[in-house]
Amino acid sequence: MYDVIIVGAGPAGLSAAITCREWDLHVLVIDEFVKPGGRLLGQLHEEPNGEWWNGIEETKQLMDKAESLNTDIRCGISAHHLEKVKDHHFIVHTNKGNFEAKNLLIATGAAETAAPVPGWTLPGVMSIGAAQVMTNVHRVRVGEKGIVIGVNVLSAAIARELQLAGVNLHSMMLPAMNSVTKEHAHPKKVMDGLSRIAHLAPSAFLRFGSRFTKSDFVRKLATQFYPKSGVKMWGMPIHLRKAVTEINGKDRVESVTVFDITADGKLIKGTERRIEVDFVCIAGGLYPLAELAAVIGLPFQYLEELGGHVPVHNKKMETPIDGVYVAGNITGIESAKVARAQGTVAGLSIAKKHVDGKADLDYRLLKAIEQVKTIRNEATIQFHPHISEGREKIEQAFRRIVHS
Amino acid sequence: MDHITICRCEEVTLEDIKNTAKKYQCSAREIKLRTRAGMGYCGGRTCRPAVDAVMEQVTGEKPGHDIPLKVQPPVRPVSLATLRGMQDDK
Repeated sequence: MYDVIIVGAGPAGLSAAITCREWDLHVLVIDEFVKPGGRLLGQLHEEPNGEWWNGIEETKQLMDKAESLNTDIRCGISAHHLEKVKDHHFIVHTNKGNFEAKNLLIATGAAETAAPVPGWTLPGVMSIGAAQVMTNVHRVRVGEKGIVIGVNVLSAAIARELQLAGVNLHSMMLPAMNSVTKEHAHPKKVMDGLSRIAHLAPSAFLRFGSRFTKSDFVRKLATQFYPKSGVKMWGMPIHLRKAVTEINGKDRVESVTVFDITADGKLIKGTERRIEVDFVCIAGGLYPLAELAAVIGLPFQYLEELGGHVPVHNKKMETPIDGVYVAGNITGIESAKVARAQGTVAGLSIAKKHVDGKADLDYRLLKAIEQVKTIRNEATIQFHPHISEGREKIEQAFRRIVHS
Repeated sequence: MDHITICRCEEVTLEDIKNTAKKYQCSAREIKLRTRAGMGYCGGRTCRPAVDAVMEQVTGEKPGHDIPLKVQPPVRPVSLATLRGMQDDK
């Protein structure tokens, strides 16, 4: 029996594994992808201080450390059920058989929210995250000329990565409003989101964007008078007053139909036109991937600030089920740096239970919790402006549930 | 717009969901069971947020703290041989 099984070899899972191995726990890490690193692998961006964040390099550093500690990391293993037999005895059901452990860390990250647009089932349509993985992990060119539907923190960052790889993007614009696209189709709401990444973009958008953060009124005004030609970010137009109503093609993507829209997202008659493209990336944002947390019976909270339904947990990454821990994007959508720091916290929490008489561990755990906060406050990309409030709410929910 | 596919695996359109809701005046869960939206090969990983959004609009049920449309194991496609298998860790 393992001391701990970690599901997910992303930044959270790997850093937790390293910490557990440093305290000499018997650890198994499983991941369903063929390589370790999780979504970290696809990341590549320039930070405001001019340094580059290269996910492949970051993964390598984590893997070097994990390997130097003889960590058992197995890829291509997919967990389909987690079961609690009794206190501190869990079974992880996988496609490669069952594994048993005294503790579990669920670090399954996030999944993409699909924003269905008519024609989205045509070959050549993909999620923006799929385009990122094809480009940065598999080194496959996604197409000759494409368009991004959905303007948010994630899609802007990935559009930049595609650009760096020499992929031709026509522009980014909104999906037309329907039952599913909701806020992704509302110019004002999208503007609120964009103002959070304005500091990452050079020149015009920086000046333009940073003003929006000031007041709600200015943002409203900016949406009203948003330039017809879009605002350029790294030379690529971002349109908040144009929307894609349909993706067209016979056997694969050939074009998209676009309308001008009002500041409320309504289509303006007579503005219809077609743009020829051979691929389309749909960006609907991320939500915590919590299926395994659900099947083992963890309670949930719906917190928009954290990206949707998240399993109840506390700052130590403990859950109401003794021996089950969570870390990374399953606890809320944030950057890989935060996930990595949370992994360390989870690792120390697990180690604390198994290593007797080390007062030092309490101190390290407190330090690691502080470190998560520091990294959160210094984050260059904020996925949600009220992330800290969301964290506070989940902490309160944990206390309520554990004390009742 | 109503012809848009919401659940790709089971090929359920927005129209199917709306018609089912109208015909049976039922809960989101019943719509799911009747249309099979979100119950295909991917286990709802692709369409779950979209199905939730449509259900909310069609039925007026607001998302609570419980995960809407319960998650059931196995959460990944597995063969019966795997489910039956007694392989354990060595």
